Amino acid sequence: MSADKKLSRRDLLKLAGAGSAGLVMSGLPVKVIAQDMVTIKVQTAGLGDNSLQPVADIQMARNPNVNVEWVVLTGIDHEEVAAKILALVAAGESIDVGYAATEACQLFAGQGLAAPLDDRITGDPDQDFWTDFFSDVHPSLVEAMMYEGSLYEPPRDFNAANMYFNTNVLAENGFDVPGPNWTKDDFVEIARGTTKKDDAGNTEVFGYGWTNRLWGSWMPWIFVAGGNLYTEERAPGGEWVWDGYYEGDMAAEGRGGGLRWQTPIANSSEVVEALELVVDLWKEGVTPDIGMGTGQTLTGFYATGKLTMTPAGGFWAGRLANEGMEKGDFDVQLWPAWRNQKHQFGTGGHWLSNTSNAPDEAWEFMKIEVSHEGFQSSIFFNPVIITTPARRSYSQKDAYESTGPANSDVFYDTLDEHPSTAPIPAPPWSNPMTTIFTTYTGFATSGEMEPQQALDEMQAELESLTNREGRKYYQE
Amino acid sequence: MKSPTTTTGVGGGPWHWLMQDTMEGLRRRRALLGYLFLLPTLLGIFVFTAGPVFVSFGLSFFQWNIFKPPDFIGLENFERLLEDRRVIIGLVNTLKFTVLAVTSQVAIGLILALAVHRINRIWLRYYFRTAFFLPLLMSGASVAVFMGYIFHKEFGPLNYYLTLLGIPQIPWLTSSDLVMISIAIISAWRNMGFTFLIFLGGLSNLSQEVLDAADVDGAQGLRRLWSVTIPLLSPQILFAMVTGVIGALQVFDEPYIMTRGGPGNASRTLVMVMYEHAFKHIEFGYGSAIAIVVFLMILVMAIVQMWLWRNRVFYQ
Repeated sequence: MSADKKLSRRDLLKLAGAGSAGLVMSGLPVKVIAQDMVTIKVQTAGLGDNSLQPVADIQMARNPNVNVEWVVLTGIDHEEVAAKILALVAAGESIDVGYAATEACQLFAGQGLAAPLDDRITGDPDQDFWTDFFSDVHPSLVEAMMYEGSLYEPPRDFNAANMYFNTNVLAENGFDVPGPNWTKDDFVEIARGTTKKDDAGNTEVFGYGWTNRLWGSWMPWIFVAGGNLYTEERAPGGEWVWDGYYEGDMAAEGRGGGLRWQTPIANSSEVVEALELVVDLWKEGVTPDIGMGTGQTLTGFYATGKLTMTPAGGFWAGRLANEGMEKGDFDVQLWPAWRNQKHQFGTGGHWLSNTSNAPDEAWEFMKIEVSHEGFQSSIFFNPVIITTPARRSYSQKDAYESTGPANSDVFYDTLDEHPSTAPIPAPPWSNPMTTIFTTYTGFATSGEMEPQQALDEMQAELESLTNREGRKYYQE
Repeated sequence: MKSPTTTTGVGGGPWHWLMQDTMEGLRRRRALLGYLFLLPTLLGIFVFTAGPVFVSFGLSFFQWNIFKPPDFIGLENFERLLEDRRVIIGLVNTLKFTVLAVTSQVAIGLILALAVHRINRIWLRYYFRTAFFLPLLMSGASVAVFMGYIFHKEFGPLNYYLTLLGIPQIPWLTSSDLVMISIAIISAWRNMGFTFLIFLGGLSNLSQEVLDAADVDGAQGLRRLWSVTIPLLSPQILFAMVTGVIGALQVFDEPYIMTRGGPGNASRTLVMVMYEHAFKHIEFGYGSAIAIVVFLMILVMAIVQMWLWRNRVFYQ
């Protein structure tokens, strides 16, 4: 071909064909090498560059033939992330390792999407690892991740609903951070005493604020009032973990193979009283209008001194620090006692997919994540705590040294010192249950229904839902 | 040089009908080329739009939670939705939103277009055209997030300025009576740029002869607007109404992100109910049945609008 000859369309096509063939040929050796690689797909919230990258780095350094791919799914709340995982599964996509909080763990276990881990743990030659792990994790967190006798997730983090205080607003109004034995009446006094209104009656500083969701929300009031949305029963089984790893631990006594939430009791007098309490505070203007969501909006108001108290867990320490609050500007305390001081918590961790093509490598990833190495490198716990570590040894005072709160002991004390502390109601049908819960909460907190009416209707819907779904899950 | 009517070429091969060196062969080749250009779009429509519609229609007769094979249950899903209070509420809320949002975005779009059309300075016209269109370029989700802050009752800037004027705080997103109106305002703000541009384009193309004739006949101001301009803009108004209604019936982003359907069920739309059942409650069959209702609703409303406007649309 002469230099000045123009390239015809036909020549161009020929060249393109030859080029493509060359590319395919040059790719062949890569493919041969790639066949030795094992890729695991791990679902992540994509926090920062990638929240789980340090764990993947450890695994890939140990085993260069493992490649970790991320499946990023974000959501406003845990229920939404669970919904996205289900959509992914419905679309025929698969993941090897997924993250789920208590409620979605029950769903994935109940539907057989997640694999039980009992044999992997008991059959692991490195039993020292598991003895150390379980000795460092409160048994209630483990039980919350069990379904019908089997464990589906080693807990990585948890958050119990404690009460956060803006210490500057407290001090301005002559209040101190209360002690651990404070009561519901003390709470009301502080909430009313720190609320400030302008001449027109608009509230400028609210004594208390919360958002409408399942965790946090007004659920802690239900618990301390002595109520729940469902009866709480224990499934049989689980001896392998209690006898094998928690022998002699008083906190593990009487535990079973996970919890069952079978009978709705949403309109019991205790629950009605709890709702009346929060609705009355809203009507008084002590609480702002109740919005949906995870409290991101409240974080800003809290950080700017417009809110005195709100329910949150250890995750708020890092969040408030990131909002610019200095150490000492906020503190935390146990939830106030009412008829009891039973706290609620939610716990999270990773589950292993039953359809994983590389279950051993996926399991290795999960194991690294809950190891000391995993916790020491996790961005969830370093440099600041953005969710409470499930391992007790990483939830001590020094972990909150740079951010506060001063009373950070209460995070793990909520479990260690209060054996009645239990997970939020989390039956496998918790997604529709949450929709019903937040809908009727909204009816009551917008004044459209009285608390009793809202809870009677909530109860009717929960009964109908439980009749439809309940028998699919729990063994007789 | 070959005559266009000769029938030389590939003889009796399988492509004979196409390769004929005749006018007919040329026409066929051109048609084939046209279809080839259309193919990617048609494939896209079939795979991503029509295909899912057919699959969804089939699924609506099944109970399917994705973990177990689907169970055929006939018309049970449709019977259930007739008695489902949330579906009825979602339907009413959607219709309420559609009326509010479409009316406002068409009216505001028209007013803005009339105003900008009268501006003589080109740069100023460009400025307003860009400014009014910009909100449409933002995603519904991001609009919902920042509007959630702006419309916040206690801490939102909107109520802050209203209270400076002595107006008490308005529960824009937390009152059952106001929430749908607030969401419609937000939606209209975002979408009016589209109707504005359509009307501005229509105004620029109005027949000068007709407008001059109206002047001669003494039609001025509102009379000219009502009797001449608006009838001449009727094709654009119909287009804006039909596309607006189609979009509004599928409203999801704003209410889902700002209120999640609350307070209570006050802002729960039909598409939100469909999403909740299909993806949150893992009832894909029932979710599909609701999707079919949404589809039929859109179809019927589009046909009804075309029919209602059949004698009121004037093409120049």
